[in-house]
Amino acid sequence: MIDLSYFDLFLVYGLILLAAGLIRLRGGEVRSLLVSAARMGVQLFAVGYVLHLVFAIKSAALVLLILLVMGGMAVHTVAGRVREKMPHFYRVVGSAMLVGCGGGTFYFCLLVIGLDPWYEPRYLIPLAGMIIGNSMTGASLAAERLGEEIRARQDQIETALCLGASARQASQESVNNAFRAALIPSVNAMATMGIVFLPGMMTGQILSGTEPIIAVKYQIAIMCVITGSVAVTSLLILQQGVKNYFTAYDQLVLPEKER
Amino acid sequence: MDTLSTQKTGCPLMEVQGIAQRKNGRKLLEGVSLDLCPGQLLALIGPSGGGKSTLLRLLNRLDEMTAGRILLRGDDIRQLPVTELRRKVAMVMQKPVMFAGSVLQNLQSPFALRREPPPVADSPQLNQVLELCGLNQDFLGRPAEQLSIGQQQRVSLARALLTEPQLLLLDEPTSALDRPAADRLGELLYRLCRQRQIAVLMITHDLRLAERIADWVVFLQGGELIEQGKVEILKAPQTAELQQFLDDPELIREQTEEPA
Repeated sequence: MIDLSYFDLFLVYGLILLAAGLIRLRGGEVRSLLVSAARMGVQLFAVGYVLHLVFAIKSAALVLLILLVMGGMAVHTVAGRVREKMPHFYRVVGSAMLVGCGGGTFYFCLLVIGLDPWYEPRYLIPLAGMIIGNSMTGASLAAERLGEEIRARQDQIETALCLGASARQASQESVNNAFRAALIPSVNAMATMGIVFLPGMMTGQILSGTEPIIAVKYQIAIMCVITGSVAVTSLLILQQGVKNYFTAYDQLVLPEKER
Repeated sequence: MDTLSTQKTGCPLMEVQGIAQRKNGRKLLEGVSLDLCPGQLLALIGPSGGGKSTLLRLLNRLDEMTAGRILLRGDDIRQLPVTELRRKVAMVMQKPVMFAGSVLQNLQSPFALRREPPPVADSPQLNQVLELCGLNQDFLGRPAEQLSIGQQQRVSLARALLTEPQLLLLDEPTSALDRPAADRLGELLYRLCRQRQIAVLMITHDLRLAERIADWVVFLQGGELIEQGKVEILKAPQTAELQQFLDDPELIREQTEEPA
């Protein structure tokens, strides 16, 4: 792989300055562009050095800690995205991400790839990152949609309860709709993969010298694992989450609207 | 009280004893007591926000009361499995909700939910209820969601009746209906009580209808039961509050109505 010198980076940041100039010319506001570009540089270098360190240390405990921090950040991000949070939001989302993403990551890395040692950070961390990132999107969609569905279908749910439905039966349609919504991005991504754009991981592997066919196989594998993880994570969120909208006596309890 | 039906069963169907409901420290209902007998038609009247719907939702345990108790044929409803309770105490909401599918599928849905064999299209059980609700076989194949509101209301009533409840709770059953349709529904409810000995508790703003078909009237205001008695109290109220409400129901409604 051809290394980039700091002068090379200076050259590409020149394009940011060009963009800033164009924005200014159009009477736009330049600050946010510059701040974002600076943040990108700082953040990525920070991550790079952390990874460099972790790859060198090769400690299982450290790798697991990093995965947990990534998961925690993901839950935090989901919380920020979902306006209408279900009761016991953090417990529900946290445990679902742990099972869904943890399961997906280790299924892929241990059973499929067969990592040796099992915590090989060069594979585990980026793959887990992709799985967690995509599950995060699925989790946000599932949680957000569930709240909306339950509120919109309040009359329908209570009518079903009145007719003798259990809470699970009465909320089934809401859960199914939310589940379908959560899977849409993964399904769409798979359908357009390779046609509209070359996926990031594959591109990266090819750039770093991997045989294209191997890169393709990895890309297919990661997409399958991502879809599986998204499905497990969001269904767990929905099944655990929906229970919290009901009492033990099949009574629907809607949380007070925020704000 | 309807002495005839009381004598027949020896005890009231439902006894409501000092129930209250609070939510976030706000009083919604306080110290409400009343009895219901088989075959009795009770009209629940009062200004909006006065606690009528709150009361109704406690009777089939759609919400949890915070004080008091409710007995169904002598048993505390909290001792009954909630699905059992809701089969005996059916409720039809103000806005009829049709599930996707045909009218027949809607009528069969309570049975499907309980995994019981549903009444088939030409069974006597189904035909009887259809006729009672002013429906017929022609409706069965139609998509339920495309019916008019009035028709949907009758389907939801039929759906509730098919499971043979002992008590029927109705939240403003005539609010979406025009005068003739409201009168027809009134006739239907009257026949239900008299012929099938079902008890009906109906929230209504339609005082004319209440006067015609109810035999007991309960007036709720500000979450409290202000006055109850035979339907004659609509002519000769004992309390100033009921008198005021009868003089101008809209006035009080506007004063007490809470922003949605």
